[in-house]
Amino acid sequence: MKFSLSSRSPTSQLPFTFGAPALIWQVLFFYLPLVLIAISGFVKVTETGDILGMTFDHFLFFLRPLYLKVIFSSFLLAFSNTLLCLAIAYPLAYFLAFTGKRYSNLFLFLLIVPFWTNFLLHVYAWFFVLDKDGFLNLLLQNLGLVQNPTSMLNTPFAILIMMVYYYLPYMVLPLYSSLEKMDVRLIEASFDLGATWLQTFRRIMLPLTKRGLKAGFFLVFIPSFGEFAIPELMGGDKQMFVGTVVSDYILGEETGALGAAFTVLALIFMLITAGILYWVIERLIPGKTHG
Amino acid sequence: MRSVRLVKIKKSFKDGTVIPDVSLNMPAGKFFALLGPSGCGKTTLLRLIAGLEKADSGTIFLGDLDITDWPIHKRPINIVFQNYALFPHLNVFDNVAYSLKLEKLPKSIIKQKVLKILEAFHLENHIYKRVTELSGGQQQRVALARAIVNEPDVLLLDEPLAALDFKLREKMLIELIELQDKLKTTFLYVTHDQFEALTVADQMAIMNHHGEIEQVGTPKEIYEFPISSFVARFVGTTNIINGTLWNIDQEPEIEVSGLGRFKVDLPHKQKKEWMKEGCDAIMSIRPEKIYISKKEVPNFSNSLKGHVQSIVYHGRSTQYNILLKNQTRIQVFEQNEEHFPQEVIDYDHEVNLYWQKENAVILEK
Amino acid sequence: MAKPNRLGKIANLVLVSSTYLFLYLPIVVLLVFSFNSEGFPSPWKEFTWKWYIELFQSEPLWDSFYNSLIVATCSTLLSLTMGVFLIFYAAQGGRIGSFLNLFYGNIIVPETVLAVSLLAFFGLVAIPLGLTTLILAHTVLGLGLVIPICYARFLELDHRMTEASLVLGATPIQTFFKVTLPNLRPALIAGGLLIFIVSFDDFILSYFCAGSASQTLSLYILSMLRSGISPIVNALSAVLLVLSCLFVLILFSLKSRARIF
Repeated sequence: MKFSLSSRSPTSQLPFTFGAPALIWQVLFFYLPLVLIAISGFVKVTETGDILGMTFDHFLFFLRPLYLKVIFSSFLLAFSNTLLCLAIAYPLAYFLAFTGKRYSNLFLFLLIVPFWTNFLLHVYAWFFVLDKDGFLNLLLQNLGLVQNPTSMLNTPFAILIMMVYYYLPYMVLPLYSSLEKMDVRLIEASFDLGATWLQTFRRIMLPLTKRGLKAGFFLVFIPSFGEFAIPELMGGDKQMFVGTVVSDYILGEETGALGAAFTVLALIFMLITAGILYWVIERLIPGKTHG
Repeated sequence: MRSVRLVKIKKSFKDGTVIPDVSLNMPAGKFFALLGPSGCGKTTLLRLIAGLEKADSGTIFLGDLDITDWPIHKRPINIVFQNYALFPHLNVFDNVAYSLKLEKLPKSIIKQKVLKILEAFHLENHIYKRVTELSGGQQQRVALARAIVNEPDVLLLDEPLAALDFKLREKMLIELIELQDKLKTTFLYVTHDQFEALTVADQMAIMNHHGEIEQVGTPKEIYEFPISSFVARFVGTTNIINGTLWNIDQEPEIEVSGLGRFKVDLPHKQKKEWMKEGCDAIMSIRPEKIYISKKEVPNFSNSLKGHVQSIVYHGRSTQYNILLKNQTRIQVFEQNEEHFPQEVIDYDHEVNLYWQKENAVILEK
Repeated sequence: MAKPNRLGKIANLVLVSSTYLFLYLPIVVLLVFSFNSEGFPSPWKEFTWKWYIELFQSEPLWDSFYNSLIVATCSTLLSLTMGVFLIFYAAQGGRIGSFLNLFYGNIIVPETVLAVSLLAFFGLVAIPLGLTTLILAHTVLGLGLVIPICYARFLELDHRMTEASLVLGATPIQTFFKVTLPNLRPALIAGGLLIFIVSFDDFILSYFCAGSASQTLSLYILSMLRSGISPIVNALSAVLLVLSCLFVLILFSLKSRARIF
């Protein structure tokens, strides 16, 4: 029987004032601004800020190859980031849940500490390693492998590395949570019955960790799509992604409305692709998820 | 200690559980058991009395007080839950002292009462432990202590022994009886286990699958004189034999197809309105009331012949499953009185079954 | 544990160790060179604490540190308080079922989008950018974390326990404070820690919503990054790393860690 005091006691009006603050806050500072920005993408403004009317101009502005390429690059980045994170995270989560179970506390600790350290410091750390005057170059020079130091920053490679570095825990933890709850004997039974690693993975582990996979997917794909900081800091001006373009336009002098329009456009695109990928995951992996 | 009286209680849930119309009287200071199959609604009845559910209609009386609309915390009624529902964030002492602290009693008195009851329940060595460290039996006793320390008028017990193993359960049943005897609090014990109910109850009620109360009475009344085939079957085992009633007013008999006629007893209070000449009826005989032998034995009102299909050894009794001439089966229990019985009954043997007419009960079909 | 084959096991081990290596290599290098007396890129000279000393004497550092602290503390307190209020409402029988989904919106909106929207919003409502706007913004993040975590835990609580409390004579309000809240404590602490860290380390919202006047620690680090590599930042990294370790240790000391993940 589902617990509910409300089935018997009348709820007085007073308690609702308790439920209200959180709801009001969320609506006021989350949904309202989003709606606002969606609307402002349609609004035509003069230089003095007076509203002239509604228009699709801003959106049409961005339906150009240049900007569509930006959206596509962001998608590509987010997608490859997610795949890479998944490829690394799954074995790691498996290790934490089974092989290294006895020391799982230690390993989790080691995983979470960088996770909870300021993100910019990680950027800096990689700066330190990859920069022209950085550690890697120094090492390579001293080893005589390269003559002139080259900056490895400002490349898609650097950006991707940084993103995997940052997002890895977001994929590992939900997977670990799912795997930990799984009964090890199911895997053992599978091997007992003669299945290979691949078969066991596909038929047993994947379906049972579906929930963790979906959580990890959400926690990685969506934020990386709108990623701003990493490309901005490591990519310089050469790499343009959704985040950087949005930032440029919004913070620019008269391009606020354009920025808004692009944000909405990118957001829609992201939601669509996320939805498609989610559907693919649902179809590809058998089994039901609960809630 | 006060009585609990339910008057025309109706309650229905969305999932189908229903209490159609229940009126029940649980006398003050007695150990009352409510017995019924799982899911019949007996726990719901308990929760209605405690106030955890609100009835759709009807009244609940505590002694002379109408407590139907009283909020939960005002009712001087406590529950011992099936899974104990102890507070995991408090230790044993604080769990038991919980209700006393709410009454704002002075600390010294609380301490005195709690320690006294913990001692009575043999928990002196566990006073400051976390409840999660205790065994099932110990947790159960803490739950019990917690529920009686503030001296409620009524104690409700919702299948409290379900999670314990057999031997522990037997022991706890006796302890519960002694407890109730000492406290004189009204106990209402809900269970689906008829052994538990028969053991503890001064009075009991049987509830069927539809939430209706079929019979109320002492354990003996219910066992020996069930008033419906549901009660006869649910409490203990019985042999149900279908037949037709004849000669109701003189020397009543029941005619069973393929077997003949058997004498029955219909003392005045057992003569019911539905009994008419030639009507369908059921004869219920408990297996222990049948005497089995290979010899011819005189002085029994009724007898049957059959042969042994299977034998089950129960330690203190042996159960024989007998196949009769008309292909129906009968169970017989025989107490294993002797190590070396004079007569040995084995598989496939032809046997005679005997019983006295007053040991059978006639029930409506 | 199943032993599939040795190759698989070795491969797994290799992968895991390289992952951890990958995670820690930059950090270790960073730490090591924070003690180097010569600024990078000069090779190792001698061990020194001087960068740390310089770090602790830097005023803008402390200013930004305090700012971050204030913002993080306020956001955490606000989120937790409103979260507890919401759960209190639910515990008294209030219906929040469908409204709860509102708080899951945080997951499908990238932080950049949120930051940008808030910037526009604050501009429209003419709230000057500063620590206040940051607190408002971070609390939104906080609600999105605290409420799912704590409400999920609330639903898992054995409701017979609350029933037992009521039956024993406690009013619904007393029951909330004596039974429900204590059992929610691990989730509340975990949620609080999480939002504190997220706020303290936050970059994107700070970048957009802090305005020019106030600087949080992240923004301070950014300004230092812009000027290139500096050993002081190495020292800062070391210090913050130690702080993170502390926080994670607190999290691990909660026995219910498994339930949060």
